[in-house]
Amino acid sequence: MEQNAAISSKDNICAEGKVESKDILRILESHNKDRGGLISILEEIQSEYGYLPEEALRIVSERTGRSLVDIYGVATFYRFFSLQAKGKHLICACLGTACHVRGAPRIVAELEQQLTIKAGQTTPDKEFTLETVNCLGACALGPVVVIDGHYFSKVRKSKVKQLLEQAGEGFDKFDIGKDERIFPIEVSCPHCNHSFKDKTFAIDGYPCLKINVATDHQQGWIRLSCLYGSYSVSTEFEIPEGMVVNFICPHCNSEIHSTSDCSQCGAPMIPMLVDGGGIVSICTRRGCKNHMLDLV
Amino acid sequence: MSTVATAKLASLEELEALRSSIRVEQQKTQTTVALCCGTGCQAYGSGRLIEVFAEALAKEGLEDSVRVRATGCHGFCERGPLVVIHPKGTFYQRVGPDDVGEIVAKTVKQGELIERLLYVDPQTKEKAQTEEQVGFYKHQHRLVFGNNGAIDPKSIRDYLAVGGYAGLAKALSELKPDELIEQITESGLRGRGGGGFLTGRKWRSCREAEGEPKYVLCNGDEGDPGAFMDRSIMEGNPHSVLEGMVIGAYAIGSNHGYIYVRAEYPLAVENLGIAIRQAEELGLLGEDILGTGFDFEIRINRGAGAFVCGESTALMASIEGKIGDPRAKYIHTTDVGLFGKPSNLNNVETWANVPLIVNRGAEWFSSMGTEKSKGTKVFSLVGKINNTGLVEVPMGVSLRDIIYKVGGGIPDGRKFKAVQIGGPSGGCIPESLLDTPVDFEQLTELGAMMGSGGLIVMDEDTCVVDIARYFMNFLCEEACGKCTPCREGTKIMLDILGRICQGKGEAEDMDKLEALGEQVQLTSLCGLGTSAANPVLSTLQYFREEYETHVKDKRCPAGVCRQLITFSVTPEACTSCAMCVKACPVEAISGGTRKGKGKDRVRVPALIDQDKCIKCRACHEACKFDAVVIS
Ligand SMILES: Cc1cc2nc3c(=O)[nH]c(=O)nc-3n(C[C@H](O)[C@H](O)[C@H](O)COP(=O)(O)O)c2cc1C
Ligand code: FES
Repeated sequence: MEQNAAISSKDNICAEGKVESKDILRILESHNKDRGGLISILEEIQSEYGYLPEEALRIVSERTGRSLVDIYGVATFYRFFSLQAKGKHLICACLGTACHVRGAPRIVAELEQQLTIKAGQTTPDKEFTLETVNCLGACALGPVVVIDGHYFSKVRKSKVKQLLEQAGEGFDKFDIGKDERIFPIEVSCPHCNHSFKDKTFAIDGYPCLKINVATDHQQGWIRLSCLYGSYSVSTEFEIPEGMVVNFICPHCNSEIHSTSDCSQCGAPMIPMLVDGGGIVSICTRRGCKNHMLDLV
Repeated sequence: MSTVATAKLASLEELEALRSSIRVEQQKTQTTVALCCGTGCQAYGSGRLIEVFAEALAKEGLEDSVRVRATGCHGFCERGPLVVIHPKGTFYQRVGPDDVGEIVAKTVKQGELIERLLYVDPQTKEKAQTEEQVGFYKHQHRLVFGNNGAIDPKSIRDYLAVGGYAGLAKALSELKPDELIEQITESGLRGRGGGGFLTGRKWRSCREAEGEPKYVLCNGDEGDPGAFMDRSIMEGNPHSVLEGMVIGAYAIGSNHGYIYVRAEYPLAVENLGIAIRQAEELGLLGEDILGTGFDFEIRINRGAGAFVCGESTALMASIEGKIGDPRAKYIHTTDVGLFGKPSNLNNVETWANVPLIVNRGAEWFSSMGTEKSKGTKVFSLVGKINNTGLVEVPMGVSLRDIIYKVGGGIPDGRKFKAVQIGGPSGGCIPESLLDTPVDFEQLTELGAMMGSGGLIVMDEDTCVVDIARYFMNFLCEEACGKCTPCREGTKIMLDILGRICQGKGEAEDMDKLEALGEQVQLTSLCGLGTSAANPVLSTLQYFREEYETHVKDKRCPAGVCRQLITFSVTPEACTSCAMCVKACPVEAISGGTRKGKGKDRVRVPALIDQDKCIKCRACHEACKFDAVVIS
């Protein structure tokens, strides 16, 4: 019974943010047995209020008999504690070594610029707090940014703005990582700039895109749907599932070189220019549906 | 949690009986889907996969015969989420929710492979069907990490099934405390937290120290940014740490233990907490352990984000609820430690090694490694490396093997430049010394150190002056401020490094750094200060030209230091895709467009206005065709 009451009152103070001495006393009570549990006590207070309110610290001082100066000393020594209320959304960017060598300082700079605050500060409208941390232990994913508990891996500078917009609206509304837009695009060769559009053949009801492909033994055309998000294709010869092929421009005959590796299967991704500015990259492995679109 | 036998085990026989019954029960389920739920894989969404698997299995009516096991980190974080299907050990990587249905229908039901989800070796192009065939795992020797993929860290029954707490049973029944200490000393086990102190010797000092009660502590602070092996042990196999601590406490004669865990590791705190509760329920922790009359309790203390609290005296101050100030160690903590009592502090990985040694013997352990460094070491291999993740190798393996054989080399065809080992207090090792074996002494000789095991690989795009500045900044911020040489020395070195990176370096700066570094090394109070100059001194030693290029030519060869670089577009390489134009935050780029229709279309290459450019690198990152060059 006790327990239940405690839990529900916890929810209440979180919502209102008002310091009630009985809540602080309850926290103190639960740490009564530990010797030297001050840090745990402060941690618990911070997890309820999001920061260490002055009134709370005064109560802790009175009850534990430790001077306020002493408590203030501890509260300011450790990076984890904050004496100021934090914003609605907490952004935590990793500046650990692994993330640093993968460009984390530039991500933090971009976050600072977009939010017009410095790391450690909260926006005036109390929406965002930006913090940095030295390693989250997820170094393989670096640079890492954690927003309201969601981990974002290999964050690029160009993604920062979108992340902040989504954070503002709440991530629950977005199915992160999915892009279900379907619309036609016209693309051309990055070497000769010639369009791949092929009006003689329709796929998905639109003129298709025609490019030449080559394997070790064969050469021929592949026709792709020009609908972004559609995977309909037709090929001149059968390409086995899983095979990686070379793409060649039918106009200038140069091979379209890969600029990155597929994040899903590791095969090369090739870029094509999108009319109106931008790039679409597609995976060269038959059957792999990975693609990326960057529009201007 | 556990459904059977929550009663306390009153004897060793009861422990063995429980173990047998668990094994019999587990053999009933033939197929297990082991799903990595370490922090890395969770960030990639493996948490959701558990539900999806459960649903898919239920749909096929397989929910009772197939077990889905959420395990700790398998180490190969680069390729997460990872799924291993036993008994065959089929290894799938980068598994998404869309793949689950197919995995259940094909692999689980019919044993068929799904080619697309297999790992393809980037060099040989060969597909690996099991973990052992993957280059990353093939060259490792996993002991401490051996069971991470095989157990659910939240289940003590899993730990018992793989032989858990057998070491404790053996220690309590067959060995006297002195013999136990002798065994650990003979094994040659040395502290994995940085210093490499002989564990057995430390235990002996604490056992012989006067004063009661004695404390046994576990250092899970893992302050080294870029290292996460302790985290993965605490999260993935928490019972191995507890078992080691109970054995140590028995040897030392202590009844109270603390585990100090970093604030950033909530999952480790959670899993350790669950493990403690389960061990207490079974009488493997708490009062009268296994009916032998030995008592030992463990509490968890969370850190609050201060690097210096990894240092032993600061850590103890922090547990006492004080500011984490270190003190001079004329008197060892084994004599006067936590609450003024004899205390024995060991690192997480050190503790996790203890049950293995007790189980398999000192000789077995000391047969691995070099003359003075025994056993294996876990490294977190990160930075500019193909296979990022946790690797466990025998001591004595060369850095080159770790980077190229296990790590798969440097991505994007870049050239290796240096590897930073030992965290903020470690050093940078160049290509020419890569054949150095990992060994406490040899690394220290090179001006680096084993540290806790962070290995940060850097390629030619990493600037060593910038790295030295990064570590100095870190240490300067984390210095507790108690002693002057460290507080002021790190600040002045940081200022000098900052100046060099801004192109305002002076010819004598390098000598100044060296002199100052040596002084700080000699005169600081604690380990933070005495090792603070390592990153600067080691980069000066091996990469002096790069410093000179910064100072004399005002150039940053790696293209990192903002004030020393310019950006320009190579018109021949520019495809006019306009990505850079879009990326530029200050509208410094013109052109980058295409004009006209059909055959008459012409390209206008992009052009960067140097006066407007703020050198933010956005264009360089946006360009897919390497047309934006840094010089
Ligand atoms: C500044 C500083 C930070 C340290 N941080 C850690 C740490 O994060 N984890 C750790 O296990 N040891 C750390 N140590 C080493 C500890 O002081 C201590 O030597 C170690 O925990 C002892 O355990 P071991 O003998 O098992 O290595 C640090 C030392 C210093 C000087
Ligand atoms: S360095 Fe960023 S997660 Fe480790």
